Amino acid sequence: MNDESTLRAGEKPSVYVSAVEGRTPTNIAPSVTEAGASASSRTAVAELVSNSLASRCLGTGAAVAALALPLVSSSTYVIQIAVDALIFVMLAVGLNIVVGYCGLLDLGYAAFFAIGAYTSGLLSTRFGWPLVATVPVVVIAAIIAGLLIGGPTLRLRSDYLAIVTLGFGEIIRITANNLDFTGGPNGLYGIPDFGDFGLRADIALYWITAVVVIAAVLFSSRLGRGRIGRAWRFVREDEDAAEAMGIHTYRVKFAAYIAGAVFGGIAGVLFAAHQTAISPPSFNFLWSALILMAVVLGGMASTPGVVVGALMISLLPELLRGAENWRYLIFGLLLIVVMVFRPQGLLPAHPGEPRRRGRRAREGTS
Amino acid sequence: MTIIRRGTMTAAVMALGLTLAACGGSLTQDGSGKDDSDTIKLGMLTPLTGSSAAIGPHMKDGARLAVDEINAKGGIDGRKLSLTVEDEACDPKTAAAGAAKLVSAGVRISVGGYCSSATLPTLSIFEKAHIPMIIPAANSADLLAEQRRNVFLINGTGIQQAQAAAAFIKAGSSKGVALIDDNTSYSTDITKRTGDELGLLGVKVADHQSVTAGESDYSGAVNAVLGSKADFVYWTGYYQEGGLLIKQLRAAGYKGRIMVADGSVDGKLIEIAGKSNVQGVFATMTQTPQTIPGGEAWVATYKKKFGSEPGPYSTQAYDAVRVAAEAVRAAGSTDGQDVIEALEQIDGFEIFSGPLNFTLQHTLSVGGFDILVVEDDDFVLEK
Repeated sequence: MNDESTLRAGEKPSVYVSAVEGRTPTNIAPSVTEAGASASSRTAVAELVSNSLASRCLGTGAAVAALALPLVSSSTYVIQIAVDALIFVMLAVGLNIVVGYCGLLDLGYAAFFAIGAYTSGLLSTRFGWPLVATVPVVVIAAIIAGLLIGGPTLRLRSDYLAIVTLGFGEIIRITANNLDFTGGPNGLYGIPDFGDFGLRADIALYWITAVVVIAAVLFSSRLGRGRIGRAWRFVREDEDAAEAMGIHTYRVKFAAYIAGAVFGGIAGVLFAAHQTAISPPSFNFLWSALILMAVVLGGMASTPGVVVGALMISLLPELLRGAENWRYLIFGLLLIVVMVFRPQGLLPAHPGEPRRRGRRAREGTS
Repeated sequence: MTIIRRGTMTAAVMALGLTLAACGGSLTQDGSGKDDSDTIKLGMLTPLTGSSAAIGPHMKDGARLAVDEINAKGGIDGRKLSLTVEDEACDPKTAAAGAAKLVSAGVRISVGGYCSSATLPTLSIFEKAHIPMIIPAANSADLLAEQRRNVFLINGTGIQQAQAAAAFIKAGSSKGVALIDDNTSYSTDITKRTGDELGLLGVKVADHQSVTAGESDYSGAVNAVLGSKADFVYWTGYYQEGGLLIKQLRAAGYKGRIMVADGSVDGKLIEIAGKSNVQGVFATMTQTPQTIPGGEAWVATYKKKFGSEPGPYSTQAYDAVRVAAEAVRAAGSTDGQDVIEALEQIDGFEIFSGPLNFTLQHTLSVGGFDILVVEDDDFVLEK
C-alpha cells in the first residue's frame, strides 16, 4: 500500500487502509491497550470522545426533539408535514445504504416505496387486514422485489445499473396504473391507520412514525459502521480491489440493495397509513430523484447529513408555500446554492473511521 | 460518560412525561371547539402550481366574488365570511398538507377541490376535523365511495356527464366512436361510464385508447383512431393533452367529429390545438354564465372586479361559497354537524346549474350538462 502508483491522484488512502486494517484489528489492538498515555494520544482520545459524544448527543437530541414535537405544537398542519418529513427521512437513509454506503446508483427507489404502500394498502382495504399485520408481508414483498431486480442487475456496473433501476421504477408505477386490482389510476383509498391509542389519530400516527424512523436511522448508521459497512465502502471505492481482497462483492452489493428495499417498503406502509389514499402519480420518477437529491445534498454515506438533507428537501417546498408559483424556482435556486458552496453535501461523511485514525496516531507515538 | 448520558436521558424522559401530563388535552381532542368568533372561515384547495395551475385563479376569484357580495350585504347573522386559499398542485401529498394547513387555520367549511385524485386524501383530514366539504369541481365517483357524511359535490358527476355525452354522440355518429382518456381517475371514470351508456343506447364503440398525460406525441392513439374508422372522438382528459391530440388528429387527416369533456374546456385548448383545427369541436360542460340566459350581468361584475373573463369553475366556486353561507344561515351555527344537516336539507336553493337539492349520495339531483361548441375563440352553447 505504500507504493504511490497504486493510489490514483486525489484519492484518499485512508479508506483503503482502514478497510484493510479492519480485517486484522488484533495486530494493533495490544499495542494500543498497553501503550502509555502520552500527550499526543491524550489529545487524540479527547478529540475522539468529544467527537463521538457530540454526534451522540446531537443524535439523542434530535430524537428527543422529534418525539417531543407534538407537545410543542399539536396543530394538524405541523403534525401533517412532520410525518411527511419523517417518512422522507426514512426513505433517504434507506437509499443512503444503497447509494451512499455501497455506491450503487439507484434511480428507481420509489418503486420499493410503491411496493410497500400498495402491498399494505391492498391487504388492508381489499382483505380487511389490520395495518400492523401487513408489515411482515411488506418486508417479504420488498425482499422479493429486491431479489428479482437486484439478481440480474447487480452484476452490472454504474450506468447500466442506473438505467435498469430507472426502468424498474417506471414499470412498477405504470403497472399499478393499469391493473384493475390496484385501483388503476384512481389508486386505493380508505386505508386505515394503526389505531389511535386514546390520542388524536394523527398524533398517534406521528409517534408511531417517529419511533420507526428513529429506529431506522439508528439501524442504518450502525450498519454503516459495522463489518458489512466497511465492505460496502470498500466496494464503493474500488470494486476490483475489494474483490481482490476477498470480499464477495456481488453478495455484499445484494445485501445493500435488499436493506434499501426493506427500508423503502416500510416507509411505504407509513405513507399509506398517513395519506389514507394512494395513487400511481405519488410514486413517479420525481420522487426517486428527490430522495436521491436528499442523499447527495446532505452528504453521501453520512447519516446526520442525509437526515438534514431529507428534512430540507421535504420541508422547504412546504415552508415556501406562500410563494405560490415561485416556490419551486426558489427551491431549485436554494439547492444550487447549497451544491455550489457545499459540494460534498451539507454534513459530509469523514473519510475512514475516527476510531481507526485515533489508533493510528497512538501507534505512531508509542 | 455512560452515567452522564443515562442521567440526561432520564431527565429528558421525565420532562417529556411531565409535559405530556400538562398538555395532554390537546393531544387527545380534536381541534374544533366552540366557534364564536365574528368571522366564518372558509377554506379552498385549488391548483395554483403544477399542470392545472391555470384553473386555480378562476376558482379563487369566483369564490372571492361570492364572499365579497355576501359581506357587502352584512354577512351571515352579522358574521363576515373570510376565505383562505391553499395550493393543491393536483398532487395528493401537497393537497393533504394543504388540507391540514386549512384545518389548523381554523377553517369551518371547505369550498375547494379540483383534481379528484388530489382531493381523495383530503377527505379524511377534513372529516376528522368535522369540517363539511362542498366540492366545486372534483367529481369522481371515488370521492363518494366511502360515503363520508361531510362530502358534498356541486359539480355534475361522471355519470351525469357520461349520459349527456352518450345522448349527443348517438345523434352525431354513424360508424363508431373512439373514446380516449388520459389514465387519470377523473378521465377514465368518464370514458368507462360513457362506454356503458353508449352500450345501452346501442352505439358502437370502435376504439378505446388511454394515453399518458404529459407526453407530446400522441401518434399511437391517432393512428389507432384512424384505423378504427371511427367518425366521432370523445376526449375526456385535460386541455393540455387535449389540444395536442386534436392538432395531431387533424394533421393526420381525421375528418370526423371531436368532443371533449369539461376538463378540456379552457381557452388554452384552442391556443394549443390551433384555432383552425379546433373549430366545431364539441364539449360536455356544466352550465356557465356565458351559456346561461341572464348570465351576462354576472360576467360583467366579475370582469369589472378582476379584470378578466371568468374561467372554468369560477361559477362552481362562486356557488360553493353561496351554498356554504346558506347552510350556515339555516343551521344558525358553524358547527360541522349542524352545517351538514342543513346542507342535506337544502331545498331548491338557486345556483348556476339550477335549483339545488342534494341526493342521498350528496350529489346534485339535476345534472345540468350542456353541449358547447367552439366558435372562433370561444366555447358557445350548441343549438
